[in-house]
Amino acid sequence: MRLNDCDPSFKHEIARQPGGEGIKTCFACAACTARCPVGSLKPEYDPRRLLRLAILGRREEVLSSPLIWLCCSCQNCSEVCPQDVRCTDVLTAIKNLAAAAGYAPPSGQAMARQLAAHGRLLEVGEFENDKRAELGLPPVSEQPGDYQALLGLKPEAPRPAGEGA
Amino acid sequence: MPRPTLCWVAAPGLEGLEPPALAMAAGLDLDQGGALEAAVVTVPEVQAPDKLRARLLGRPVQWLDLAAELGGGGEGHRGQRAAAALSRAAGRASLGTLPPLYSPQPNQRVLVAGQGLAALAAARQAALLGHPVLWALSGDDPAAAGAGEDASQVAGLAAGLPEGIELAPQTELTNLTGAGGSFTAWLKGPQGTARQRFGAVALAPGGAYRAEPAPPGLAPDLSRPLSACQPASLASAQGWRQVAILAGVGQPATAQGFARALATAYALQAQPGVQVTLLFREALVAAPQGERLYRQARQAGVLMARLGDGEPRLADQGRTLVWQDQVLAEDLELAPDVVFLCEETGAPWPGFLDNNLLWPARSRLLPEHARLDGGRTARAGFYVLGALRGTPAGEDRLAEAAAAVHDLHDLLGGGAAPLPAVRTLTCARCLTCVRVCPHGVPEHVEDHIQPAPAACLACGICAAECPAHAIAPPGWSTAELMEGLACGLAAAPAPAMVLMACGQSAMPAFAELSRSGHVWPAGLLVLPLKCAGRVGLELILRVLSLGAEGVLVAGCHEGMCRSVTGNLRARLATGQAAGTLSDLGLGPEAVSFLHMANNQPQALAKAVEAMYARLGAVE
Amino acid sequence: MHNRGPRRVGGCLEEIIFLSALDKPVLIIGGGVAGLAAALELDRRGLASLVVEKGPNLGGQARGFCCKALEVCARCGACRVGDLLQQAAQRPALGALTQALAVAAQRQGAGWEVTLIPQEGPKPTSPALALERPLGERLLVQTGAVILAVGHQVFDARKKSRLGYGRVPGVMTAGELEETLAKGGLPGQARRLAFVQCVGSRDQALGRLYCSRVCCGFALRLARLARYLEPGSEVTFFHMDVQDYGQAWRAELAEMRAGMRFIRAIPGEVRPGAGGPLAVFAGPDGQPQEEEFDLVVLATGLEPPVAAPALSEMFGLTPGAEGFLTGGQGVLVAGSAGGPRSIAESIESAAQAAASAAEHLVSGQAPSPEVAHA
Ligand SMILES: Cc1cc2nc3c(=O)[nH]c(=O)nc-3n(C[C@H](O)[C@H](O)[C@H](O)COP(=O)(O)OP(=O)(O)OC[C@H]3O[C@@H](n4cnc5c(N)ncnc54)[C@H](O)[C@@H]3O)c2cc1C
Ligand code: SF4
Ligand code: SF4
Ligand code: SF4
Ligand code: SF4
Repeated sequence: MRLNDCDPSFKHEIARQPGGEGIKTCFACAACTARCPVGSLKPEYDPRRLLRLAILGRREEVLSSPLIWLCCSCQNCSEVCPQDVRCTDVLTAIKNLAAAAGYAPPSGQAMARQLAAHGRLLEVGEFENDKRAELGLPPVSEQPGDYQALLGLKPEAPRPAGEGA
Repeated sequence: MPRPTLCWVAAPGLEGLEPPALAMAAGLDLDQGGALEAAVVTVPEVQAPDKLRARLLGRPVQWLDLAAELGGGGEGHRGQRAAAALSRAAGRASLGTLPPLYSPQPNQRVLVAGQGLAALAAARQAALLGHPVLWALSGDDPAAAGAGEDASQVAGLAAGLPEGIELAPQTELTNLTGAGGSFTAWLKGPQGTARQRFGAVALAPGGAYRAEPAPPGLAPDLSRPLSACQPASLASAQGWRQVAILAGVGQPATAQGFARALATAYALQAQPGVQVTLLFREALVAAPQGERLYRQARQAGVLMARLGDGEPRLADQGRTLVWQDQVLAEDLELAPDVVFLCEETGAPWPGFLDNNLLWPARSRLLPEHARLDGGRTARAGFYVLGALRGTPAGEDRLAEAAAAVHDLHDLLGGGAAPLPAVRTLTCARCLTCVRVCPHGVPEHVEDHIQPAPAACLACGICAAECPAHAIAPPGWSTAELMEGLACGLAAAPAPAMVLMACGQSAMPAFAELSRSGHVWPAGLLVLPLKCAGRVGLELILRVLSLGAEGVLVAGCHEGMCRSVTGNLRARLATGQAAGTLSDLGLGPEAVSFLHMANNQPQALAKAVEAMYARLGAVE
Repeated sequence: MHNRGPRRVGGCLEEIIFLSALDKPVLIIGGGVAGLAAALELDRRGLASLVVEKGPNLGGQARGFCCKALEVCARCGACRVGDLLQQAAQRPALGALTQALAVAAQRQGAGWEVTLIPQEGPKPTSPALALERPLGERLLVQTGAVILAVGHQVFDARKKSRLGYGRVPGVMTAGELEETLAKGGLPGQARRLAFVQCVGSRDQALGRLYCSRVCCGFALRLARLARYLEPGSEVTFFHMDVQDYGQAWRAELAEMRAGMRFIRAIPGEVRPGAGGPLAVFAGPDGQPQEEEFDLVVLATGLEPPVAAPALSEMFGLTPGAEGFLTGGQGVLVAGSAGGPRSIAESIESAAQAAASAAEHLVSGQAPSPEVAHA
């Protein structure tokens, strides 16, 4: 791979995402790789490798990689990282960029649809609320509005004052 | 012959011993406060009470650290060991002593040759300690800084130069002979060459940058040394998009060089449109702030590329660097617009030091040696400082210069051992001592052997090697050693064995074991030496001929001898003695050599034990 | 001896040593290699000093280290402690008080008046030297200059809990290995050794963003020694970078690389295994990998001395880089108290501290480090 053909701004772009700030400081010690439970199940998955590709500026390769979606956000890597990279958060930032670039995996897209429709990953209907009533739990209602706003499907609802930017 | 008296000074470790009985056993009078001809004292000189020291002034004295030689065991056992040790000292004391020979006042002048931080600091400190200093500058400006030095730090120090420094601008040291207290220097200045005498010499040439070699085959127009990239010229970076910096690729980098590469990478990366790739084998982050710089550079966006052996390879007529990324395990290529080569500071080794008639080889004069610190070289009174030694710029150079000046002040002020005595009548003028003395002390002057006044460390190598028994540091002639050992061995119960203990390694370890109650074999006699180098083939054979059944010589580990070659010489002599013994049909295992450090007392205890086991087997 | 005399302080009589007026113009706090070297350097300059050591023995941490020579000296510097103690014992002007703690300091003109109190503590580990005299009573010391040589603190490996120290049998620190080897043995059958580098150093997450400088050197020398003592043992060296210690070291390193397994990765975890500690690390293929060892050695880094905040306050110093000590007017710093330093570097730094202290005594104005750096 020719570094001249890579995108040097990619690492900065990730670093500008919330949670992505730490990416550039990774010094490839592989402590995260050793601790990552996904890696021990799926041999191709290596958080350090993903970070390295991103740092080198291999934008398309990273964003289109199905591997970035395998991170289970267990924070094991963040715990051991000596450079405070917060690898989990960096991968989340990368996932967000990937989604924005249209690379969200089908499962993710299905989840988004589910959220948009129901405000949860499961549809809550009468059946569920009846069961909850039997167990003495209060009923829950579907409030998909927030998610629709987040997913850009509807204009954002005005927030109560003082709730942050 | 003077009759020696036993001056018993009680000390921890001597409890339970009976001085009168011991004095009798060792053939000494016990001190009753009367007049003294010669004395054996049971503690080292610094531990003796002032009154006693005053009484002994000018008399032959054997200061014996008896507790250090004794060790534990039952009363009878310790009594036996004490009697043997005292007999050894008594035998030696009965010979009387030459009063230690100190020189006529060593020359107090100090020559500092060079420029930059180290030279400045050395000149300054030497002058503050009252030495007249001649500072031979290569240029004109005492405030000029060497490569890699902080110009304002140098200027700050140069602003307040103390009195007593004579500046000799544009002057070069072209030749040098001598040792501590008496050097002769040839100085070439604008007025020609002049010869001057000094007591100590510090060589501290200002450093220059040397760029590491470019990878062979790299397009020549691509590469430049790092110093071609000063912040002022960063503007020219406008045209560059891809910048490569090689740090420790063509030659090993140092932490200082690496830190400088990081700082440059960081500054370049801040230029719009520039992507810097730093190529290196190891991130050398041990310089002050090194790790911080490393992280800052990454944070700024510098790409870190770790190379393997034989990398980078070159492609595209030397315009593309190729290496394997160690995380991805795949090849990366970079066609940079410019390649900067990391620089290290250094100074050329002066030619006159390569004169092997006057100077030992560089590896002997300035070995990488844990004891030759603080600018010291094997030649006492001669110091190599700063860039020439490879000392990093900054505080380290100041510290080294300060240490060197303290050392020379101590030497010239009489802190050195007394001079070796030369018996001119028996001296064969074979120049063996001149050749073997690691510190350059004996000089051949007008058909005499004349010792430099402030350089002898009393290692005794000359005495071990001199074929005519004509030179020895005070108290160290073979005759003196033999008289002591003869008396000691006569008093030691069989099987008697002599441990010749180097004062830098074996003796401190022996003392520590003794103080912690280690029980030594009753027949073990210790001969404390300043350096194992005092031991020659002759000494070993003569000790065996006195009835010792074994001789163990213990000296420093290879490369750790304060006198550079003393331990190796002793090891060689031990081997020769073993060879001689087997030629004679005797057991070569009666002699052996042990390399050890002063923090390895167990090794010594084991070796003594093993020797005794062997002696038992031989019997 | 010192000029002593009673003095009334707040209604009590106190004993006071007039150090500045008389024979001991410099007070050295800390009796490790740096403190001892400072005393010797001052003595070479013709200045007396008093070393104050809080522990029972002089020599500091390096006193427990082992010699790392095989046949040839490895230049680790450990035996320099013995050298210094011996040289100090030969110089009558050197004085030392052990089991003494400086608890207060007051500026007095260009110098200081420092209060020492006896420090309860463990008995000497080795037979006390003539030089080592315990402080019996509270003492005031007047001095022209102070050298702080209180050394460093070793990183507490428990803080890197994933590496198992204190939890997993068979995990020890390099300092413990030093002492084990110094006492003449490797624990049990340690044939499979792993070293983990940079424990507590080069670590932004712990706020220790610096290299401890000495651990690559001592760990590799220890590894080599362990292999030498136990031929056939295997060493795995987990590291990020190997620091440089000069020409001779490079040749040795090349040999060590040939004889040991160097893995450029830091293990993520060490847990108990069936036959010894089990390290989890990224293998060369980037996959998590587990391997059992007999001994996992953590190369713990050098941290600022525990006494740094208290001393900074006592002497009105501004905290230095990374929390290490910096000097001030009439207060100098030597050894690893001022930043990670090897034994050799600590000894050399003491020369500069001694020189600056001496200049301060003359002018009342030592070139403070800030000025020198300006
Ligand atoms: C595991 C390990 C291995 C190492 N191995 C090597 C090696 O092989 N080679 C090498 O060159 N370096 C090595 N080092 C570094 C070495 O330990 C230091 O360079 C050296 O100890 C520094 O000496 P020092 O005198 O500055 O400090 P210290 O040795 O820490 O001595 C400081 C002294 O001050 C005393 N003190 C502390 N506080 C006070 C107080 N308030 N009042 C009075 N006294 C006080 C302490 O009791 C101590 O005696 C190693 C370090 C570690 C952690
Ligand atoms: S643990 Fe941190 S520094 Fe190490 S490879 Fe992972 S992200 Fe990079
Ligand atoms: S005793 Fe050693 S230093 Fe002194 S003159 Fe002889 S060989 Fe040289
Ligand atoms: S410097 Fe280290 S390796 Fe060398 S002799 Fe001393 S303790 Fe041993
Ligand atoms: S010296 Fe080596 S082990 Fe120690 S912190 Fe630096 S790189 Fe890590």
